[in-house]
Amino acid sequence: MDVLANFAMSWTDPWLLSLTALGTLAGIYVGAIPGLSVTMATSILISFTFKWPVNEALALIAGVFVGGVYGGSRTAILLNIPGAPSAIATALEGYPMAKRGEAGEAIGLTTVMSVMGGFIGILALALFAPVISDFAILFQSRDYLLLGLIGILLVGTLSGESFAKGVFSGALGVLIGMVGLDPMTAEGRFTFGSITLMGGIPYVAAMIGFFGVAEALVQLHQLDLKAVKQKIDRIIPRFRDIKKYFWLAIRTSGIGTIIGALPGTGGDIAALLAYDHAKRSTKKPEVPFGKGAKEGLVAPETANNAAVGGAFVPMLTLGIPGDAVTAVIIGALFIHGLKPGPLMLVETPHLFWFTVGNLTLANIFLLIFGLTGIKIFTKIVECPKAILIPLIIVLSAVGTYAIQNNPVHIYWMLLFGVMGYFLKVYGFQVGPIILGVILGPMMDTNYRRTIIAARDDIGNFLWNLVSHPITLVLTISLILMILSQTPLKRWIMNYLAKRKEAR
Amino acid sequence: MSNVPSERPAELVFAIIISVFSVVAFWQAYEISGFSSAHSAGVFPMLAAGTMVLSSFVILCQTARAPVPRHRTVNELRLFFRRVLPLRQLVMLGLMVAYLFSMPWLGFIVSSGIFLLISFSYLWGKSLLVTLSVTAISLASIYFIFRVVFQVVLPQGEWLRGLF
Repeated sequence: MDVLANFAMSWTDPWLLSLTALGTLAGIYVGAIPGLSVTMATSILISFTFKWPVNEALALIAGVFVGGVYGGSRTAILLNIPGAPSAIATALEGYPMAKRGEAGEAIGLTTVMSVMGGFIGILALALFAPVISDFAILFQSRDYLLLGLIGILLVGTLSGESFAKGVFSGALGVLIGMVGLDPMTAEGRFTFGSITLMGGIPYVAAMIGFFGVAEALVQLHQLDLKAVKQKIDRIIPRFRDIKKYFWLAIRTSGIGTIIGALPGTGGDIAALLAYDHAKRSTKKPEVPFGKGAKEGLVAPETANNAAVGGAFVPMLTLGIPGDAVTAVIIGALFIHGLKPGPLMLVETPHLFWFTVGNLTLANIFLLIFGLTGIKIFTKIVECPKAILIPLIIVLSAVGTYAIQNNPVHIYWMLLFGVMGYFLKVYGFQVGPIILGVILGPMMDTNYRRTIIAARDDIGNFLWNLVSHPITLVLTISLILMILSQTPLKRWIMNYLAKRKEAR
Repeated sequence: MSNVPSERPAELVFAIIISVFSVVAFWQAYEISGFSSAHSAGVFPMLAAGTMVLSSFVILCQTARAPVPRHRTVNELRLFFRRVLPLRQLVMLGLMVAYLFSMPWLGFIVSSGIFLLISFSYLWGKSLLVTLSVTAISLASIYFIFRVVFQVVLPQGEWLRGLF
């Protein structure tokens, strides 16, 4: 009964209901306007909502997340500019459809399928999170250390252009997270005797710098991109279409949920994999892929919305974010004094069921807002970047200042923004940095607990990594990941081959 | 969506900078507690910085080995300022620095107003009247949303205390 009451909390409370609706609506625009991203919006939102009760803050943020993942598809279809990375595959099929004058149909189908994918992701969250959480109570500090490493490496390898760059970004993030007084011994780390540095680097300033200011500077490169206008008529999709693509949608939602649940991978990768799956599994598409095949529209859109629910699974059960946005949401939960992890479902079950109910509600609003208001939408999305970019900078400044009313944080944000710009220009990803900042202190604490438990003995420590079943699985996956990405495998093979020859 | 410039002049210089940064970071991490014990405060920072040193060296080698895509007829430095840090980025960076550093003196409203007005007219190039009204509308909505709805305390100016 309790579960139901918490689930329905945001449905029955008019204030929470309207916050969720507002969040979803805002999210659609944030996701759709090229230059604004969901990560950017959630980072800035955290700083404004940290004084609110946690439920209200979460309602708004969940709405923005759900709406934002979907919103990218609209600009992808109408303007051939994916509003978010998760809509890249959508643009491949959606824009050709729009050029044929079927923009309305494409948007309608996308909306219905996104909502369907979203529901499947949430269902998976509701069903599997409690199971994983029961299991996760068995996890020891060493397992968390390994999970953190795997999460950062996954983001680094899958999103960047080279493994080394991904690893560098992740390690840089961990280093940023280390600055300040050591929580165990109160020794200063990288503080250079400065009192300001002893308090650590505020991670929200880092988030806003990397996702807000750095992105705004990158966007300046394409200020002059002109949008193409499209004609929109029929929006409610045909029932025939929904029936036809139903099973495909179920399969790609499954892909999306699993990819979303893997620590470190989110909607963008899920969408690309699902698109690939649709391409390979569709034998006779009505229209060839790349020319406006509806299969290629359904697959990525179901997958990226399913990934939202999936991404909440490791975040709420293990405290390991599933992607960049959930990394930011973890930051929000920390600010509200909550500790995401296996104990969260035991200690604060109401929050878990509230989140599930809230995501469900946001999905319903997505269906409503997705099928209406497209005329106004096209007007707003055409907002020139010349106006958008200075506004992002002003919002970033307010956001950073708002957390602790400390002007120094604004300079941190500026520094990270400039740093992020150069890193982005030279092909580094900023996602792993934020993951490192969030996970670094957690990994540090767990590493030291593990090594103390092993009585400071490296041999004991390494033996612990292989002598327990759960840990062994994690260790093997970590080693496999590193082997598959570095030339280490080739060297070992060559060495073995040489030894064989010598014999 | 990735929209960074495809050509990357001075990539080698950047790789050298991050390598030097990593080595300095490792040295600083060592300074925390050295190799005194396996669970001291400095171990994990050293591991992180060590990973940075290793990966930045790999990046350095990869960059150094990569073939130069074009004949070096154009000065690398000039290309850097054309592709990586063109005038537009430089001007906006300058404006941002001026904006953020003047905020403690002028206060949020005044400094943001000036920043928005200058950057809108620089990037957008519409008439002064249009730019002015867009600035006023954006500033009013930001003030309303954040001060009134979110109840955020906005930075007040040293010089204009009590006014804004």
